[in-house]
Amino acid sequence: MRYFLQKLSQLLIVVFAVTFTVSLALGAIPNAEERIIAAKGSGAINDEEKNKLLDSLNLREPTIVQYGYFVQDLVTLDWGTTFNGNQSISTSISDGLKISIRLMIYGQLIALLIAIPIALLAAYRNGGVFDRTSTTVSFGFISMPNYVLATVLGLLFTVRWQWFPAISTDIGFFASPWEHFKNFFLPTIVLALPLAATYMRLLRADLINTLQSDFITTARAKGVSTPRILFGHALRPSLFSLVTAAAVNVGALVGGSVVVETAFNLNGLGRRTVLGIFASEFRLVQITVVVLALVYVTINFLVDILYGFLDPRVRAGRLG
Amino acid sequence: MTSTIRSRKRPGVLFGAVAVTIGLVAAACGGDDGGGGESADTPAAAETTAPTETTDVIDPMTAVTPGGKLVMGIEADTSSPWRPAEMVCAISCHQTIRSIYDTLVIPGSDNVPVPYLASAVEPNEDYTVWRVTARSGVKFHDGTDFDGAAIVENISRHKTALLTGTAIKQVTDISLDPADPMTAVITVEQSWATFPWYLSGQIGYMASPTWLAASDTDEALRAQPVGTGPFVYVDYKPQEYFKAAKNPNYWNAPFPYLDEIEFIPIQDSLKRRDALKAGDVDMIHTGNGEVITELRGGLDGFTSTEITKNGETGYSLIHVTQEGSPLNDSRVRCALAYATDNDAVNQVVSFGVNQLANGPFSPGQVGYLEDSGYPLAQDMAKAQALIAEYKAENPGELKISLATTQDATNLVIANYQKDWFEEAGVDSVTIDQIDQAQYIVTALLGNFQVFQWRNHGGVDLDQQYIWWHSSSSLDVGTLALNFGRIKDAKLDELLDANRASVDPAEKKQIAEDVNRLFATECYNLWGSYGVWLLAHKSSIMGTDAANLTTPESARALEGAGIAGTFYPHTIWLQQ
Repeated sequence: MRYFLQKLSQLLIVVFAVTFTVSLALGAIPNAEERIIAAKGSGAINDEEKNKLLDSLNLREPTIVQYGYFVQDLVTLDWGTTFNGNQSISTSISDGLKISIRLMIYGQLIALLIAIPIALLAAYRNGGVFDRTSTTVSFGFISMPNYVLATVLGLLFTVRWQWFPAISTDIGFFASPWEHFKNFFLPTIVLALPLAATYMRLLRADLINTLQSDFITTARAKGVSTPRILFGHALRPSLFSLVTAAAVNVGALVGGSVVVETAFNLNGLGRRTVLGIFASEFRLVQITVVVLALVYVTINFLVDILYGFLDPRVRAGRLG
Repeated sequence: MTSTIRSRKRPGVLFGAVAVTIGLVAAACGGDDGGGGESADTPAAAETTAPTETTDVIDPMTAVTPGGKLVMGIEADTSSPWRPAEMVCAISCHQTIRSIYDTLVIPGSDNVPVPYLASAVEPNEDYTVWRVTARSGVKFHDGTDFDGAAIVENISRHKTALLTGTAIKQVTDISLDPADPMTAVITVEQSWATFPWYLSGQIGYMASPTWLAASDTDEALRAQPVGTGPFVYVDYKPQEYFKAAKNPNYWNAPFPYLDEIEFIPIQDSLKRRDALKAGDVDMIHTGNGEVITELRGGLDGFTSTEITKNGETGYSLIHVTQEGSPLNDSRVRCALAYATDNDAVNQVVSFGVNQLANGPFSPGQVGYLEDSGYPLAQDMAKAQALIAEYKAENPGELKISLATTQDATNLVIANYQKDWFEEAGVDSVTIDQIDQAQYIVTALLGNFQVFQWRNHGGVDLDQQYIWWHSSSSLDVGTLALNFGRIKDAKLDELLDANRASVDPAEKKQIAEDVNRLFATECYNLWGSYGVWLLAHKSSIMGTDAANLTTPESARALEGAGIAGTFYPHTIWLQQ
């Protein structure tokens, strides 16, 4: 419990730091008022409307008061509307989050499904043909920027063979499973392949170390079958690096899949944020940054807890 | 139409130009666009691949198969709220919102404004009072009657708007005719013969007063437009799609032909092309030289139509009245013009698609001159001589800042410009890359020296009034549409004279004089005239705007008045 509370307090400090910094960001932007008015559209120019708009953003208040209002709006979910489209910011973020989380989950699942068996086999046959081949291929995917992968796969699968759409649409799984699959397949693959390559490299390295451990030798001596050694004994203690990388990537994928989202015209959270920056949608960007930060720290908090489950030594260390 | 206007282009383009400029700054660059170079009497739309009927006028009652859905890939979602007075409307925005709103006037096939949603637009003798009469029996999509009060309400809202408010600054009163509830009376402070053009663009879009009032208090409603147009709003998600369904009670039957229409913003031109090829969209528009070049070569199953008439000009703005700036001296400005090699930019960046510009007016626009006096070819020796002459009188370092967007193509052009300007003798050229939103504001605030831009599509010189007249040239730091802060009494005189004139010969002379004045003073560094291309599946018909007719059988101007657009009313699918 003490460990839990310690991590929780760290999480709260990070949340405070992020929200405080973000709340001040708007006022720090050069010509913020003019940019907001321009972003709002050509109609909001008379003084009354201008003052109403700027007052609603609390830009003219002292720093600490701005922060207070910002937190109050955050907590009460009074996030306002976008300057340009007059879309509810909460709707915009939830729409974007929905797409990004789908991409993240699908991408991670595919990556893990590819990486784990390959890593197991490569580590088991360390130095063999399969290991060398998979290592070479994985380096290829790691070094290939995903916009290149998106372009190549896009040209082949959308323009030439027309198996998948060139621009993806956010169609829900239950609305049409087949259309959902068609629209999310290519973006998912583009995300998953480099991830899978990275995960495979990490897991393979840890597995090779684990397979050289005394307890594995003992298990072999006792005649335990190879699959049982790999899956039952070697895999779990080798997951540390993989879990850490996967956890970091959860946050990165939710907010940072801009290239893939742009390549397939999916309006996920990352793309919305970038477009928001270009369109002076400061409020949207502020809230999005906070949401992403919360996703990051929450995931990392959960991963810290998970470490104890993965390795009894960590649990023992905490207790000790 | 009872208007006696004889002038050429439509106000729609003017306001389109505002929007286009505001919305397409990222694309603005001296060498990014180009014109087809047709003469004034060349049709605006020219087939480039498999011949179809797209440039022919269709007999709608015999040739058309109604029904179906069109999905179009557009270059951006540049709208703000879908309220006419607040839209920051680029080409894609106009294309989209035309499905919902009708304009009071449309550009007619004879290059004169023709009443569309209005039944009449009539001036008094000296063009200081205009009576705009609503077409009877028309209702907005929400059931509200379209009448004189609706016109008053809509145009009044523009008076306080930043962009369109500036455009109708000279409107002093907008009121309902007490004797005729269908007629709005608009009073202007000086003779304004070309005023109806302004009713064919953004100011002419008519939105439901009921909806406008409701959306004053409920901001979410502002994204759900209600007009009188051929389609009824269904759904809109910014940066994702805009969907509309056929208005079964459209007042100008048999339009529209389609049952549904959807617009999907796809910002990258190549991706837009791929989406067309993959069948994700049925139609795209593009100004990208690479895509245009490819589509000019022809693609099986697709047809493309080029629109060059009245398009924008790509150029570099110069701030000409900035305190202490070397660019206040015309010798420095003209040196930059002579130092520039637009042909190189056109070949490298635009695949040679564009026609080099020598002034603000493209071929076909009134005021275009084959030789305006502006240098079309690079003359580095002359540029160096002019800079040397300036430096002899103004010792010290000559520094210039050049603003561009974060777009890679625009940066390439900026680097070319930097090299040329420094070769001409400028000691230092600093390139400032600015994000698009800030870029627009930077232009509005006048915080720049040299600035890549695109603008000035249109028919009548009057449509450029707000960009160049000193009344729009406000102090640096104040939002103003005369970005370069030009204050030129001669230019003001010419613009005012054109505004008051209905004599085509006189207007032509004035526009040409303006063109020459720009060349002499080098107020801008002209780049190239823009080309827009509509590419679509060959089964899509009716893209030529001339297929749109009024109930009085007047036809719309081919090219729909805004380069790269069409009227959604007239599109139909060949079975």
